[in-house]
Amino acid sequence: MITSIMHDDMKSFEDLAANFMNKELDTRREQSDKYPFVPFDNTVLDKVRELGFLGITLPEDLGGIGQGIGTLCVVLESICRTDASLGALIFTNALAQEILLQSGSFDLLSDPVSRGRLIACSTYSDPEEHKDLPRAEKGKKGYTLTGSAGYVVLAPIAAYALMTARIPGQKGYSFFMVDMSQRGVKTSEPIFSLGVHACPVGDLTLDRAEAELAGQEGKGAAYFGEASSVMSAAAAAISLGIMRGSFDYALGYSNEREQGGGPIVNWSMIKTILADMAIQTRIGDMAVCVACSAIENRLPGWDIFVKSAALHVQEAACQVTTEGIQVLGGYGYMKDYGQEKRFRDAQQMKTLLGMAPLRKIDLLDRINAR
Amino acid sequence: MISCHEMKNLTQRFPSFENSFMGLEYAPRLPKAMVKEIRELVAYARKFNDEVVRPRALAWDRQTHEDPDYLPHDLIKTVNDWGFYTMWVPKLFGGTGMSLPSVSPVMEEISSACLGIANVMGVMYLGLTSLISSFNMRITNRIIKDLIEGAKKGGPKLIAFAITEPAAGTDADDLELVDRGRVVTRAEKVDGGYKVNGRKVFISMGHVSEWTVFYAYTDLKKPSETMTALVVKKGTPGFSIGRHEDKMGQRVCPASEIIFEDCFIPDDQVLIDARSMKKFTSKPPSEVMMRHFDFLASSSKAGVCSMGTGVARGALEDALRFASKTEIKGKLLINHQWAQGILAEMYKNVVLGRLAYQEANYANCNRGTYDLLQMKPVFYYLKLMPPSYFRMLEPILNSDLATWAMSKMYLDLKKQKNVDCCSGMSSLAKVTGTDIGIRNCQLAMDLMGEAGLRQGKGMEKRLRDAKLLQIYESTNQMNRLILFKGLIAPSVPQARVFEQ
Repeated sequence: MITSIMHDDMKSFEDLAANFMNKELDTRREQSDKYPFVPFDNTVLDKVRELGFLGITLPEDLGGIGQGIGTLCVVLESICRTDASLGALIFTNALAQEILLQSGSFDLLSDPVSRGRLIACSTYSDPEEHKDLPRAEKGKKGYTLTGSAGYVVLAPIAAYALMTARIPGQKGYSFFMVDMSQRGVKTSEPIFSLGVHACPVGDLTLDRAEAELAGQEGKGAAYFGEASSVMSAAAAAISLGIMRGSFDYALGYSNEREQGGGPIVNWSMIKTILADMAIQTRIGDMAVCVACSAIENRLPGWDIFVKSAALHVQEAACQVTTEGIQVLGGYGYMKDYGQEKRFRDAQQMKTLLGMAPLRKIDLLDRINAR
Repeated sequence: MISCHEMKNLTQRFPSFENSFMGLEYAPRLPKAMVKEIRELVAYARKFNDEVVRPRALAWDRQTHEDPDYLPHDLIKTVNDWGFYTMWVPKLFGGTGMSLPSVSPVMEEISSACLGIANVMGVMYLGLTSLISSFNMRITNRIIKDLIEGAKKGGPKLIAFAITEPAAGTDADDLELVDRGRVVTRAEKVDGGYKVNGRKVFISMGHVSEWTVFYAYTDLKKPSETMTALVVKKGTPGFSIGRHEDKMGQRVCPASEIIFEDCFIPDDQVLIDARSMKKFTSKPPSEVMMRHFDFLASSSKAGVCSMGTGVARGALEDALRFASKTEIKGKLLINHQWAQGILAEMYKNVVLGRLAYQEANYANCNRGTYDLLQMKPVFYYLKLMPPSYFRMLEPILNSDLATWAMSKMYLDLKKQKNVDCCSGMSSLAKVTGTDIGIRNCQLAMDLMGEAGLRQGKGMEKRLRDAKLLQIYESTNQMNRLILFKGLIAPSVPQARVFEQ
């Protein structure tokens, strides 16, 4: 990302992530992308824990490393140039943490953070999109959840899940923390999806599963709204990293691959494609940087900046990665190169935090309301 | 109102009337029986989709991820049982002899259910068309006979097509570029045939085909002048199958590397070489090859457009089904105005794709490869005569007379402006259909959100499958240049293509 507007900490995190990416991710990407048809690779996850990437935005007194959203974005952008699966994993855990922070449920963060355990959540949708959410009932010992929840990210490997559920007779929905090891929670086989294969997803079935309320009853939409506004910057950073990776690879390839008697970068048609990719990547960079700055400085209408950035960069990443394959021709379509994965990942990441058309409508409502 | 001379001048001006309204001119000439035939075939394809493709496509796709070496022998058998491998083989060669313009609507149907399966079926016809458009009727007849006899016994002897090389993709596709490229497949003339060394990559169905039509060069420094078309049979010493490519999509249709190591190809498997063509045409070898590729590409690219249109339609159908039963924010998605806008855009794209392949086919019927076959008297003659009649003609196919007649018709008598038009129109169709294929998949993904991401729902597979369409049969960038060369450049004398 644009380093001149970063502070020193951010720059050092970018270097750390880039170093990690080169040493650990590059060689493992193709193999780990075969999940769920090969076992999940815990080695990379252990390294992520060690580096503190599972608590970047958490305050230090809660066991995190107390950085702002800008640092999270820098790390995600850097990692996702090589492998967005890991970016999606870090994002999901961070989104769950952010919702818990917004709800003031610091106690619920204590065990997962101190023991480096992952929290699953539904990253690819706004809970409002779902007609049927699990039902929450309050008993003597606390709440229990019953029902099913589809496409819960990290469910196959997480220790906890942050679930949404409706309390009968109440408007809105609430968030609940669920211990995945209990008998009342059943996780499906990992779901094979379009992209970010190594960020496992599963369907959950809850049968009177014990759960702890996060924040207040019926306030889920408010917590999610605030958290998703902040995390939209991180979603944009993921897509930015993917398209940066796609552009860098396409540029390198086009300087080496010869057709028509010289490197294909000399074909002016290829140059214009690469230029379009570069333009989108640079604009995306600017958008993410400004979005982070707007959040950290709490500029008026910061949420509009951030959500606009996310929608723009996610769409751009889909276009850029399509061309990223095209520049490589047949080779771009093969799994030996990273380009086809970036194409799939970019499309998958476009759905982060909910359906893009609905997020656009929400954005305009916010603009209109100001 | 206007004089004939004036009208001629005005309508020949760019863009010419004849290049702009293919359907207007050709549609009235369509034999009625052909329309009926296409309708029946579309219905048959839909039945095949209902009974074979839709129930099994996703399981086949998943299987290829679990086992990347999986080869679709069971699928090939099923496709053969339904008659698709002989359906468009001309009766003259012993096939069912359905009309060639019917290929596109059928491919649209199958592709709307699964592009990979459509390719398992359709790419065989690329190999077959490369045989027929070699004008070498003796070899063509022999190989197609093998295909048909195998098909009757339940094991069709499929034909693959191989041109791409590891260092020559775009270069190998065009004779104007090939001399600047780095092709490596060399055919050395030896007693009784050629000795071949080299490699080809990304060969669809290479692993499972009995025959492969391929191209080699007798002089690697002058490939455009020395390009030779040959056929190799599976099991020939020195011919082997290399890696099974690990593709993003269309995974049920294997892409193979093929390797030649001192592989001897006898003279009776040489389709086109400079020596043999001298007997039949005065055209130089490079022009013969150029025509061969133009005819081949003009028909195959219309087919690829129909595949793009098919996947775009499949995406529309998925999105429509999802929107019709999914409630978002208290009402069915289908009743959200924004969703209606997306669905309308997708429907529009499908229609535009279909129009594009129809126009390309009209060009082929009117001025290209199919012109003779689709003339009403010829069409009805071929349709109504019994198979036994065509068997009597076999000695003619095996004589030089058939090759001479084909060469005269398609090399010497065919006007270059007609070849350019068909070539440009088929590239236009290919770019249009395949771009809308991707576009509709992306729109459907937007509309379906999280549900579209699951392999089990099918939509994400469509997107993975569709991307290959923008790459094979020459990349869409290359096809834009061919469109320019065929439809725009002829009206601008100073225009030069492939110059940087």
